[in-house]
Amino acid sequence: MILETFEGFWSPLVWTAVAVAVTLLALALRSRGRRDHKKGTEQTAPFLSGEAAPDGVHVGGQHLYWGFVEALRPYIERLRAAHTGFVVDYVTWLVVALAGIMLLVLLV
Amino acid sequence: MNLATHVPILAIAVPLLGAFALPLLAKVHRSLRDLWVLLVGAFTVAMLVLLAVQVFTGGILVYTLGAGTPGDTVPEGFPIRIMLVVDGMGAFMGLIAALVGIAGLAYALQYLEEEKGKTLALTLMLLLWAGMLGLKLTGDLFNFFVFFEITSVAACGLIGYRVWESRPPEAAFKTMVMYTLGGLLILLAVGILYGEYGALNLAYLSAQIGQGPLDQIALGLLLGGLLMKAGSVPMHMWAPDAYGEADPSTAIVLVANTQAALYGLFRIVFTLYGGAGSPAVGGLVTALGALTVIVAVLMAVLQTDLGRLIAYGAVSQIGYMLLGAGVGMATLGAAAGGEAGFGLVALQGGVFHMMNDAACIGLLFLCVGAVVRATGARDLRALGGLGHSLPGVSGLFLLGSLALAGIPPLNGFASKLMIYQAAFRLSPILTALAVLASILLLAVFVRAFQGVFLGPRRPLGGTAAVPTGMWLAMGLLAVVVVAFGLVPDLMVRHVVAPAAEALWTGREAYLVAVLGG
Repeated sequence: MILETFEGFWSPLVWTAVAVAVTLLALALRSRGRRDHKKGTEQTAPFLSGEAAPDGVHVGGQHLYWGFVEALRPYIERLRAAHTGFVVDYVTWLVVALAGIMLLVLLV
Repeated sequence: MNLATHVPILAIAVPLLGAFALPLLAKVHRSLRDLWVLLVGAFTVAMLVLLAVQVFTGGILVYTLGAGTPGDTVPEGFPIRIMLVVDGMGAFMGLIAALVGIAGLAYALQYLEEEKGKTLALTLMLLLWAGMLGLKLTGDLFNFFVFFEITSVAACGLIGYRVWESRPPEAAFKTMVMYTLGGLLILLAVGILYGEYGALNLAYLSAQIGQGPLDQIALGLLLGGLLMKAGSVPMHMWAPDAYGEADPSTAIVLVANTQAALYGLFRIVFTLYGGAGSPAVGGLVTALGALTVIVAVLMAVLQTDLGRLIAYGAVSQIGYMLLGAGVGMATLGAAAGGEAGFGLVALQGGVFHMMNDAACIGLLFLCVGAVVRATGARDLRALGGLGHSLPGVSGLFLLGSLALAGIPPLNGFASKLMIYQAAFRLSPILTALAVLASILLLAVFVRAFQGVFLGPRRPLGGTAAVPTGMWLAMGLLAVVVVAFGLVPDLMVRHVVAPAAEALWTGREAYLVAVLGG
């Protein structure tokens, strides 16, 4: 049950056994936590910056990784600009790529 | 008649004839049409599994159409007849087609609506399935082109048949333009090779082909057409349009169609050209693979449409396959001296990832279908809280996402690990890019999962109940995702390794099987 990967190997069953053991250990540690925790009280209520969160608030998918996208924006905007959605541009890219491929197979 | 002898042609003919008979049966009764789809699907899968068993246990299978016996390949010393040649790689691709085809059909039967072109979509799905199988099993270059065109026509029909909406026909038009150009490139290459050698049989051409300018021009044209259809950057832009706008139940078959183009690329480079010029071509394919992985993942980060997000994820996975195969091609020459075993491992990783990608991406598209059915929406900004009403689908979506991002112990990890380690020997930068892309892909799918399934409950616009057929299709792919992840060594040893060996060292055996010793 071991997959040889040239430089090493991979045993998913060993990994799974270790993952189960770590999970059980984490649960055991958690069970020794604070006894004064009470479900359904304000202890478990979400809050935003110290304020009580309004009902029904959901941080939508588009908000995740906002900072990450902002940091990469110069690169991403160039990529987005290349994806115009115009079929003429698609054909242009095909012609450019084909020219590159031809040069490579004929000259290298 | 011994049915087992005719398995290769039956695997193509049954879905092809099934597609043409389907609209007629639908006129009689819808139940008869659905029963017909299931029968055709089950029979084709049985043929493909039988074919794989025959090839993996008995070696290359050759089937000559019109001959007195299927093995009569060179009646007068020249392979003139239409021929199907199935080696390990062809049989492996047949198994992928079987998995995707039966899951897609079972799902579509209950997902598609009668008044929204169900019969048309099912017909086109069967036609696309037949075209893919023909492309994978054919032994001559002209029929390769014919099946390439059959898949193109059927795929464009599947993308754009919902003419009452504006975007699918537009996506189909763009795809049709690109597929037509790709088909013309391949036809031109076929014409060049026919003019030069007077034959189109792959084995015969492989035995004759040299490295002259015309041969190289034909190689360039074939590479251009097939890389475009595989969705390689920078020729990938039609793919997110096509996958994103297609019905989720048909998108799974469209992804398998791009893999068929990838198979064509492998067949041309390894079998037809025997790795001629492979370091240069390998370098090109490797570079395009790395570029595809990164560009597609970065574009996925920006998407707010769930379908397009997964479509970019699918394009990025094509990059991993190109990366694995490219490293294999680049080291094929060195492998002759016994120095580049990592090239074979890279190729195995790329080939294995084809199967894993089909299962992961297929599962994700089918989950999108369940979401659309429940809400009528695919916009991440509008969705949320579906984990309350669709807990099973949310679990399956998470499973597919984790597998696609290469999280152990799921199937995507095993094939990516092989690619990472082997690519590292060629250049550590390749591995760094591939790992970075996997991390980004995980971020993309965490975002999608959070946006669609987590959060407070929201009112649904459709029906949240998922029919049994859709569950069965998603369950089948989920089982593959988990099982291939837990026992990857069995898959690699018995299925993937013979497929990769057929490309790596199987050229001589291919020629002998067709042309004789």
